[in-house]
Amino acid sequence: MADHSQDLAKKRLSRRRFMIMTINGVGAGTALLIGAPIVGSVLSPVFAKRNTPWVLVADISQVPVGVPTAYVVNLPIDEGWSVPPVPRTVYVVKLNLNGSGAVEMLTLSNVCTHMQCNVHWDINFKAFLCPCHGGLYSIDGTNIGGPPPWPLFRYEHKLVGSTLYVRNDLTGA
Amino acid sequence: MASPSQPARSALVAKLMRPVARPMAATYRWVDERMGISDLTHQLLYEATPRRGAWTYSLGSATLIIIVLQIVTGMFLLWTYVPSTTEAWESLNFIEHHDEFAAIVRGMHLWGAYILLLVIGLHMIRTFVSGSYKKPRELNWIVGVLLFLMVLGLGITGAMLPWDQAAYWTAMVVTHIVDYIPLFGSWIQQILRGGPQMGPETLTRFFAIHIWLLPALLVPLIGLHLILLRRHGEHGSWVNYQGVATETEEVRAERMASAEYPYPAVPSDPGYAVPVDIDDFFPSQVFKDAVVSFALVLIIFVMAVVVGAPLERAANPAALNYVPTPEWFFLPLDQLLVQFPQAWMIPVGVFVIPGIGTTLLMLVPFLDRSPEREPWRRPEVMVPALFAALFLIFEALLAVNRLFNL
Repeated sequence: MADHSQDLAKKRLSRRRFMIMTINGVGAGTALLIGAPIVGSVLSPVFAKRNTPWVLVADISQVPVGVPTAYVVNLPIDEGWSVPPVPRTVYVVKLNLNGSGAVEMLTLSNVCTHMQCNVHWDINFKAFLCPCHGGLYSIDGTNIGGPPPWPLFRYEHKLVGSTLYVRNDLTGA
Repeated sequence: MASPSQPARSALVAKLMRPVARPMAATYRWVDERMGISDLTHQLLYEATPRRGAWTYSLGSATLIIIVLQIVTGMFLLWTYVPSTTEAWESLNFIEHHDEFAAIVRGMHLWGAYILLLVIGLHMIRTFVSGSYKKPRELNWIVGVLLFLMVLGLGITGAMLPWDQAAYWTAMVVTHIVDYIPLFGSWIQQILRGGPQMGPETLTRFFAIHIWLLPALLVPLIGLHLILLRRHGEHGSWVNYQGVATETEEVRAERMASAEYPYPAVPSDPGYAVPVDIDDFFPSQVFKDAVVSFALVLIIFVMAVVVGAPLERAANPAALNYVPTPEWFFLPLDQLLVQFPQAWMIPVGVFVIPGIGTTLLMLVPFLDRSPEREPWRRPEVMVPALFAALFLIFEALLAVNRLFNL
């Protein structure tokens, strides 16, 4: 008899069990109501859409072949409210291909691919040098020494006559 | 021997003070009846602590005092500081040139952080050398390591807030390190920066982490650290347990039976539950704590006035000739960045090696489980720890040599 009534009590939802389940459920619900908007706002930068407009650099007809030349460009990076635009350095590099007379032009970011410090063209080393951890890049941006894992990022660019425009597609620096 | 006039003078003072003293005493009694302040104070002040080596135990309370100093000076830096990429530097530059006292507050916040890290280091060394992390205090060692990591986090996020060149490039490197986390790295980087690149939201995020998120975690964890300390009683140094390994059963039983609260610590290795010689926390330990804390606060004040906190030029993402250098407490980590080059090695330098080091530090109580307390009788932990410390110093020196060409 006793066994039978205990079995019944187990099957029935007791008052106590109901309240404990409600407390747990309401607790989880409260956490969800508060947490969902917070998690959403924390993750929002990952899903944000960004404009990547063309930005004027300069007339580059005077840039000599074989000498990386730095231009400061106000890139709208569209992070947050981005006021004012962030100044970035773009290295314009003209390379003579195999002495054939054809000139290739590169627009290199000066952001080191190791820890994103600013590299600069060192005339003595004939290389891009990173002051943070000693990264070295050749004139075409290839990583040739130190810790950098990848070559320097190349901005997308277009020429209108001899006027250079670049675009930051946000995949690199 | 008091002079005859002494009692008379005291009586006069008492009479003059009566209109003030009586209502004050009555108010105190009223509050005390409802809050139990006297009991609590008595419990907190007259607890038994180990008698010997007590000067070295002042490092813990010195840590607490400096953390309070950091919280208070931090609050008053918010009087002026603006967490915005366009105004953070301007607001601090204003402090440095037009508000001498605020500049001292800022200097104390910086030097407080430096001294805090040093004192926490000494506190950890003291605890390690004395074997104070042994049963039943393993959890409190782990809580302590977590607190240390949080203070490092506060240090590095605080270094980003001035948004001068040093701050900007610290933020750049730190938020780029997380990009090397496998799978989720770029997500975490974007969450911390507010996008793939540093922008105005990067500063607001690290500001929030520095003044709210980390302190909100730190303060309760400090509470837990103190509750656990009080629960087990102070272990103190090995000098308080000399001879316990060879004492007779009778002597040990007598020591356990006459132990004062909160001793004997449970569970404990036999003989180590009660220090051989104890003293009240107040005034003998509080006296040493007060003297050491005052000396440290004095050093912080003097450094704040004499040296102050530097403010470099405002952040300039396009700068070509700026050489970023890490805060001194991150020099060993910075050197690992150089020593582990190329894509697959970088995570080894920034995550695997520091991760192994931190894990080993947390597991110390479980790696060293013998009851032995004396440092020279447990070379199996002291020698590796010495090598680890020398490794950190060596890495820091290599970084200094690289960055400053000494």
